[in-house]
Amino acid sequence: MSGPRHVYRVLGIGAVAMAVTMVCPFLGIRYMTIRAVLESQELRYIFCTIRIPRTLAAFVAGGGLALAGMVYQALFRNPLASPYTLGVSGGASLGAALCIALGAGGSMAGFSMVSMGSFAGAVGAVVLVYTFAWSRESNSITLLLAGVVVATVCSGLIMFIHYLSPLRHSFQIMRWIMGGVDGATYAFLAVMAVPVMLYAGVCAAFMPQLDQFLTGDSLAHSRGVAVRRSRNMFIVVTALAVGAIVSACGPIGFVGIMAPHACRLMLGGARHRVLGVCSFLLGGAFLVVSDTLARTLAPPSEIPVGILTALFGGPFFLAILFRRKGRLQF
Amino acid sequence: MQVTSRESIVSKNPLMEAKDVSAGYGTCGVLKDISVRVEAGERWAVIGRNGAGKSTLIKVLAALLEPSAGTVLLGPKPLREYGARARARAMAYVPQKPEAVIPYSVHDFVMLGRYACMGLFGTPAPADHEAVAQALAFCDVRELGDRMMTTLSGGELQRVLLAGALAQDAPILLLDEPTTFLDPAHERYFFRALQSAREHKELTVVMVTHDVNTALSSCTHVLALLDGRVRYAGDARAFKEQCPRVLDALYGIGFAQYANDDGVVMYGTWEHGP
Repeated sequence: MSGPRHVYRVLGIGAVAMAVTMVCPFLGIRYMTIRAVLESQELRYIFCTIRIPRTLAAFVAGGGLALAGMVYQALFRNPLASPYTLGVSGGASLGAALCIALGAGGSMAGFSMVSMGSFAGAVGAVVLVYTFAWSRESNSITLLLAGVVVATVCSGLIMFIHYLSPLRHSFQIMRWIMGGVDGATYAFLAVMAVPVMLYAGVCAAFMPQLDQFLTGDSLAHSRGVAVRRSRNMFIVVTALAVGAIVSACGPIGFVGIMAPHACRLMLGGARHRVLGVCSFLLGGAFLVVSDTLARTLAPPSEIPVGILTALFGGPFFLAILFRRKGRLQF
Repeated sequence: MQVTSRESIVSKNPLMEAKDVSAGYGTCGVLKDISVRVEAGERWAVIGRNGAGKSTLIKVLAALLEPSAGTVLLGPKPLREYGARARARAMAYVPQKPEAVIPYSVHDFVMLGRYACMGLFGTPAPADHEAVAQALAFCDVRELGDRMMTTLSGGELQRVLLAGALAQDAPILLLDEPTTFLDPAHERYFFRALQSAREHKELTVVMVTHDVNTALSSCTHVLALLDGRVRYAGDARAFKEQCPRVLDALYGIGFAQYANDDGVVMYGTWEHGP
């Protein structure tokens, strides 16, 4: 029930997310107090131009990925679906790898060539899957399979590029694929936040359709959902949002598949309106914490955040799963 | 307000009409030249052998399957010209069993039936809560309201599914073998639920069934399909007079009948029909 029974838990998740996002910018290789930030110009500079945009970028990326994961899981009625299911991250990684391998450095209009290349790759993958979605009597399974094929082909091509590249490029590609929000600026944040916020708005409006999708295509149809049109709409807006996130941060794993499930376990039987808000908050908070760990655990170097999301997210998720006696109701 | 909108559809007879409809899956044609007129308030039983095209017909009527030839009229205009929401306000559909059992409470699941009546953000209005409460009462599942769908038995699940369709508040109800997987007791409960809904609002019912006796006792009209064609379409009483001979032809085995307190009961035998 999305009624009063859930209100406290939703508020709890919201409070945790807010607290985490407010505390984490103060943490780092140099721990800061509020007073220190106010008094020292140097610390204020670090705090305002490095840590705040980075924390917010992590929050937006994590939240967006979690929301996208929830949408795909409901749309395909498949608990294993993730934001990358339809090959968006494969396309993005391929685009990035190509740019790196071809030595396309530099930037244009404030965007780095690599992230533009990866966004183009993401869009390419989506166009491919989407054409497939319209071109035949496709159902969820054929779409999923098409996505898997696109992802596999992309990863094959990436391996090939790896193989041909000199060590320096190969390392860069590898590092890109691990993902991270390091070096986030306000421009970087805006490029990601604007599409993610638009996406969240669209989702908020069409959440009731996701509830219907969960009951199966024919029942959703009989209840008044234009199933094909609605599914394709969700696929496209989700893929664009994920493309925007991935081309900025790389394919950060796990948060998109884990956060929605964690919310489902905590809010058994919640409608997607509630679930979406919570997934966004939890995914955002989770990535903020992971990124904070990434930049503090092994100073002065940074651990790629994708490694940490998997290493810390996995046990956290298993803990929830066991506490609920492993009944992942979907 | 809802009553007037229903009346406006009801006044346009026939309520639903299939004209020379053919349909199938890919190159495999199942239905051939089906024509049938369903008037408001009628209750149609669609009977026939497995593979005769009963479920295909109900899918065509529910707009789940596009006919390869012919048209389906819903009220004044072709079914395919309806938007999804407008169609859902005109007719509801109950499948053989739920495609997926979701971890929602029974109340929330039945509320999903109100989708076409709610706005974009899907916030239930008092009228929606009222419709859900009424549907739960009709189907005798009110005390299951807070239970999770995943904890229900097959019989309860099917009644909840019916409640969802009734909550939709559509004048036409399409049922695709709704009691196939139910024991005799739950089958009774299901039809009692349908009965009590019909007592409170005018419903036009098209129901696929394998149970000839249910068809004859609870429906006003019979549509008998044989190999994708109409073998009989019309009044149930006239159909009864042709029994059991017509059933022999329909199912390819002999039928016998005997009389009891409720009337005449048919049952299949090992004898081969004509």
